[in-house]
Amino acid sequence: MKNRTIVIHATPEDHQIAKLTALAIGLHMIEAIIPSPLPGVKPGIANIVTLYVLYQYGFKTAAWVSLLRVFASSLLLGQFLSPTFMLSISGALLSLSVLFIAKHLPSQYFSVISLSIIAAFAHIAGQLIVVRFWLIPHTGILYLIPIFCLAALIFGLINGLITAKLFSQK
Amino acid sequence: MRLLSLLAICLLITSCTKPEPIHNTQSYVFGTLVEITIYGEPEEEAQELAGEIIRDFQALHNRLHAWRASEIKSLNNAFKRGSLPATIQPDIAAIISDATTLSIQSKDAFNPAIGNLINYWGFQNDEFKPIKIDDNKIKKLVANNPHMVDIVVKDGKASSQNPHVQLDLGGYAKGYALDNALQTLRKHGVRNALINIGGNIIALGKHGDKPWRVGIQHPRKPSAIATLDLDSGWAVGTSGDYQRYFMLKGKRYCHIIDPATGYPATGIQAVTVLIPPQTNAGTLSDVTSKPIFIANPNQRAKVAQEMGVENFLVIESDDKISISADMAKRIKWTDDATAKYVTQIQP
Amino acid sequence: MLRKFSLNLKKSFFNQHPKLLLGDWLIILFSTLSVILMFQQFWVTTPASQFKIRQGNEIVGIFDLNQSRELRIKGALGESHISIQNGRVRFKQSPCSNQYCVHQGWLTRAGQVAICLPNQISLQLMGAKNAYDSLNY
Repeated sequence: MKNRTIVIHATPEDHQIAKLTALAIGLHMIEAIIPSPLPGVKPGIANIVTLYVLYQYGFKTAAWVSLLRVFASSLLLGQFLSPTFMLSISGALLSLSVLFIAKHLPSQYFSVISLSIIAAFAHIAGQLIVVRFWLIPHTGILYLIPIFCLAALIFGLINGLITAKLFSQK
Repeated sequence: MRLLSLLAICLLITSCTKPEPIHNTQSYVFGTLVEITIYGEPEEEAQELAGEIIRDFQALHNRLHAWRASEIKSLNNAFKRGSLPATIQPDIAAIISDATTLSIQSKDAFNPAIGNLINYWGFQNDEFKPIKIDDNKIKKLVANNPHMVDIVVKDGKASSQNPHVQLDLGGYAKGYALDNALQTLRKHGVRNALINIGGNIIALGKHGDKPWRVGIQHPRKPSAIATLDLDSGWAVGTSGDYQRYFMLKGKRYCHIIDPATGYPATGIQAVTVLIPPQTNAGTLSDVTSKPIFIANPNQRAKVAQEMGVENFLVIESDDKISISADMAKRIKWTDDATAKYVTQIQP
Repeated sequence: MLRKFSLNLKKSFFNQHPKLLLGDWLIILFSTLSVILMFQQFWVTTPASQFKIRQGNEIVGIFDLNQSRELRIKGALGESHISIQNGRVRFKQSPCSNQYCVHQGWLTRAGQVAICLPNQISLQLMGAKNAYDSLNY
């Protein structure tokens, strides 16, 4: 038997993705420990990394980081394919799709703060879709929509401000 | 900071929405539920006025009662005895004259003179129990041929040329009471109100900045089949086989009796009529649904036209719904799936 | 890279404001307005969470729908049994002979009404905003 070695050639970009994803996973895990007054209402600080990557490396890298973060974190937390994972992934997917479009907004008028808020709303929308049609098929959650959206507005704004600060340091 | 204050202000605005200036009184009169909703008046005045209207309803009900001691009951007794003309109050005379006109207009499909038939079927009761149906007896009651035109009103006195005429204003009184209540409300300067007597509803003004919205009961489910916006002065009424009926050997016998056959109307679940503003809109909302309910399915549109009803909705017993084009524009089905049972009647 | 990132993060809190552009303000304004609208929309049209029992002209009480409980209410004829079961309510037993109220079954949505005319008891589901003002039947 010959030992066969599979060599994976990692590009520098792969390394970047890995590092940033690791950071995002870290933030995701920290957030998972913080208790939340209402399930689903979370600051989403890991999204700061997504936004940062989006501006520095482009959409493709941002998508990788975001999705890898969701998959890896859920595996680490033992939530893979659980409802929590489904919420994360649907939120991440919708938020990425919206960012893909929002990235084309004229940058002289719309900074990363706009994108952060838009992404936060998309994120919560993605989650609510899963909740409404899969987890709790009951109109009762309509009641919670404004709270989720208020949280999205506040945290989207804060995350956006933080990301903007990161850029202003450069 | 600016942002935070902006957010704070926005939150304040949302949390400071005032409760609506709306008053709601419910009571049991006419053997059914009466609901008076008054919008935009001081609570105390609204409550007092609603109480006054309820007392008026109770008084009217006591006077028109068909089977307990009342002015109508004494009149019926006088008709039965064939005695000399009995003195009646002017408003009762007016009711009789108006009901006669409507009865003629409906070619006797609306016939408040068939109290004996209604009594025979057990619907002159607070509760309805199955009866033993005797076809010969029913035939005899129909052959007695009681009609509104048999009643002669002259100089404040009434008599009947037919001793079998027995007034039962069950299909008239609630609508008449609606018209009275609307007058009372207007007299007291109330601009926005909704009155519901056992399902017959009349609207005055609006509910805030929106028109009054009423639900139309599904004949077989405990929910509304549709909603309808009632503009000021409009009235809506339904004749259905689901409010007053009894079941016998798996068959449903409803309280709407075809005066021509003597048997309860069959093959239909509900007729809803929508009446535009006029002095007797309430009365018409009560009366005009009955002839449509009793008519043959292919005659309904024609009967509605004869009764001057432009807006109506029919639910046949096979759940098929037909609706006049005008009303279709105003109605909103609760369940989108209902729409596939609906056909529009072209004028 | 990571170090730079965390360093940035640390420093950033103590520096001057990041600049909000015109579009940012518009987005913030727009989303704040949407959130306000949503509060007004959804917090006034709620599914029924409570219901009202009336006997005659009196309101017997307002009860929470989110419980499992049996109630006995004295009416004109006798006791009506009302059953509440996690978000829904119905007449379970009634002394009336026609039993229409019992046949009405479960009520779940705001504005729905079950009435027992003989016993003069009504159940009405309440939401802050009903689908309609009154019911035609």
